[in-house]
Amino acid sequence: MLEFIAVGFKADRFKTLMSSLGIIIGVMAIVVMLSVGQGLYSGVSSQFSAFDLDMVRVMPGTFSFSMNSPQSRIAEEPAKFTDKDTKALENIVGIKNVAPETSANVIISFRDKNSTASVTGVDPKKEDDLKDKVALGRFLTDSDYKSIVIGSGVSEGLFRMKVTPGNKIRLYYQDHYVDFKVVGVIQEQQQTSFGGPGNSPNTQMYITHRAMKELLGRDNYYYGTFLVTVEDPAQTADVVERIKTDLKRYHKNEAYDATTARDMLSSLLSVLSMIQIALAGIGAISLVVGGIGIANVMMLTVKERIREIGVLKALGATMRDIRIQYLLEAGVLGLVSSIIGITLGVLISLAIGTLGSLPSAITPASIALGLLFGVLTTTIAGVYPANRAARLDPIEALRAE
Amino acid sequence: MNIDCPGTRIVIELDKIEKTYLIGESEVAILKGIDLEIEEGEFVALMGPSGSGKSTLMNIIGCLDRPTRGRFLLLGQDISRTSEEELARVRREELGFIFQTFNLIGRISVLKNVEVPMMLSDVPRETRRERALELLGSVGLAHRVNFSPLRISGGERQRVAIARALANDPKIIIADEPTGNLDLKSSQEVMSIMKDLHEEGRTIIMVTHNPEVTVDCDRVIRLRDGRILSEAS
Repeated sequence: MLEFIAVGFKADRFKTLMSSLGIIIGVMAIVVMLSVGQGLYSGVSSQFSAFDLDMVRVMPGTFSFSMNSPQSRIAEEPAKFTDKDTKALENIVGIKNVAPETSANVIISFRDKNSTASVTGVDPKKEDDLKDKVALGRFLTDSDYKSIVIGSGVSEGLFRMKVTPGNKIRLYYQDHYVDFKVVGVIQEQQQTSFGGPGNSPNTQMYITHRAMKELLGRDNYYYGTFLVTVEDPAQTADVVERIKTDLKRYHKNEAYDATTARDMLSSLLSVLSMIQIALAGIGAISLVVGGIGIANVMMLTVKERIREIGVLKALGATMRDIRIQYLLEAGVLGLVSSIIGITLGVLISLAIGTLGSLPSAITPASIALGLLFGVLTTTIAGVYPANRAARLDPIEALRAE
Repeated sequence: MNIDCPGTRIVIELDKIEKTYLIGESEVAILKGIDLEIEEGEFVALMGPSGSGKSTLMNIIGCLDRPTRGRFLLLGQDISRTSEEELARVRREELGFIFQTFNLIGRISVLKNVEVPMMLSDVPRETRRERALELLGSVGLAHRVNFSPLRISGGERQRVAIARALANDPKIIIADEPTGNLDLKSSQEVMSIMKDLHEEGRTIIMVTHNPEVTVDCDRVIRLRDGRILSEAS
């Protein structure tokens, strides 16, 4: 029976190709969806592994991805954090360390050459993590004023000359500047693109809050973030709740939020899985449309070969013989289309992986799923035409023109 | 009944065969009680004007259709009450069909056309190829095996159809106006092959309009208005 099918394809190569287009696109969408989805998933997860997942960030404004309180974003002003909040946070049970930070993007000038970087005002006593990462020189102390600790990326790469401890750099913020003396360099850290390329940890610089206040030139200096370390990671959720309620005292009509990298990761991953579901939907729709296309072409084929089917029946073909012939024809069509679709899908995934910054991972599971759905859809699409062919009355069929 | 006659066997036995079709509300009788016996090795011609019911009769004898009433025994098997599946098997193994319009499959080669009945009977690839080549040789078409049926003459097509009808070595050949679409020379070639088949001992039932081709037949059965009008030897 397979010989009939092969000959049929040869005769209607163009029609066959056109009819399989829907299936090809559907299978392609499935493979791309799974590969890119999987790639994003593992990419995001690996970037977050660089973070301390249980570090709580307390920030002004609404920060979480969830849509729980959309009205507060509009109605409430961002909270203004001061030392009062630092004290309040330090008094909450279960909190080990509270590191207030304020960041700004500045222009950095070294030997008459300019570049941009990000500077963060910190409290030297509260930044043990950073202290441990100093590769050259020393970290800041409370008595430092015009001293600065720079990231490895500022030290090397930002300027033609290496910036080392002892060098002087000038930071510009809006219409004024402050000169700093480099006292330390932080070791190179794993790059995470979370927060955008400008926020690489390696192009960060650190100064004291006192210096930061002068650099910003504001009378009212507020903290941008509290990095809160909890004593017991298992209690993180409780601590976050306590932070939210305790800060209410000072910030009644102001918006602030406490969140962990873990929360952000899970809300990001849920966004990702929504994207994946959408892509899967596109794949499913094109498969359904493709299946209808296949069913249509198979119906046409059956109609065209009505006489041939009559002859086969007269020569003793059973209903089963005819049904199997047309189901196989649909199945082979599905197999060939799926293989083409998988090839295209893999190529597109690889292209996305290399050209775009999106990571993609082609897994055997995505190929197997593409193949399964492609062949399944075409075979199901073939059922009705195959049954129509099998049920033809040989006398009627032989009379057909 | 010829049962007591030694050496002969009845291969086809029709007993009061009736066939009616429902057209709208009314029943239309096409066959109105056909009694017919055909012995093994007989060459029988079936004649009659159009509308006489000869096509319907041929469809019943060819196991493509079932009678409304009456009994039909083919090689001793009661066909009137058998399953679709079994009818297909009988057509495949016991009968060989030759059509007026040849009914070859245009998209496969002459050779594959002859192989089709053997494919349906699950004959191994090598065996069926050998047999198809042998059959095509015997009808003088060894040089046409790889041609498309669309590229050979009418006479050649009908000879391919005969080779196909013989593929599973059936005892009975059903020929529906085998020379109806052929010129004189091709008709003569086809009839001479039919005669050879008859001499090999095969039973042949042939519908025809042309009295000239009945000269080799043992018997001519005339049909009119759903009944057998006369039998002549």
